[in-house]
Amino acid sequence: MRFIPFAIALMLFALPGLSAAEGDIQAGRAKAYTCLGCHGVEGYRNAYPSYRVPKLGGQHAAYIVSALKAYQAGDREHTTMQALSGTLSEQDMQDIAAYFEASGRGGKQ
Amino acid sequence: MKSISCFVLILAACGLVGVAIAQPIGDVEAGRSKSQACVACHGEVGAADNPAFPMLAGQHADYLVYALEAYRSGDRNNAIMNGQAAALSDEDIRDLAAYFSSQNAALYGLRRKSAKSD
Repeated sequence: MRFIPFAIALMLFALPGLSAAEGDIQAGRAKAYTCLGCHGVEGYRNAYPSYRVPKLGGQHAAYIVSALKAYQAGDREHTTMQALSGTLSEQDMQDIAAYFEASGRGGKQ
Repeated sequence: MKSISCFVLILAACGLVGVAIAQPIGDVEAGRSKSQACVACHGEVGAADNPAFPMLAGQHADYLVYALEAYRSGDRNNAIMNGQAAALSDEDIRDLAAYFSSQNAALYGLRRKSAKSD
């Protein structure tokens, strides 16, 4: 009977791993190849309207996931981003976001 | 004579374009004083630790203008940002974009070649 608290504690430690999908930076690096066709070209411009596409290196992963979900749901208007985000699973989004977040100062990735 | 005046005109046009490109998108100091509502979530210089809110420091100014216009027009649907952007004039948007983009960069460009390496 003594081991029950210990077992419960172990289960609690395991919970976050089950509930929150963690992004895999290495998997994200491969999955981000299409993204970098625009976001990986310095000074690359969106057309109509014309503006430079946002820098994503070092951006918060949670925000990137929420932005991708907003494009997927149609809460953000953008033909290309809606189409591309529509191909992504939750895990894809987490992985890509983790890769971008890790690609911050000094270009760690 | 005609070709010379043509040449001068072209030169002048190039100069004008150069000036237009060199113009800052808005007024950084005006943007700082207008940023009080923004910094509650995005941090004083647009680099808050809260991962729910995007970092803005060093982001492209023209992208920030586009994003704020999209929140204002409803092209982007977001409970917080729609309300915040509704009150902004075109000038406010340009000043805020100038302010946050001019801060020490928290954001960096990416290189596609890095995706290919290893």
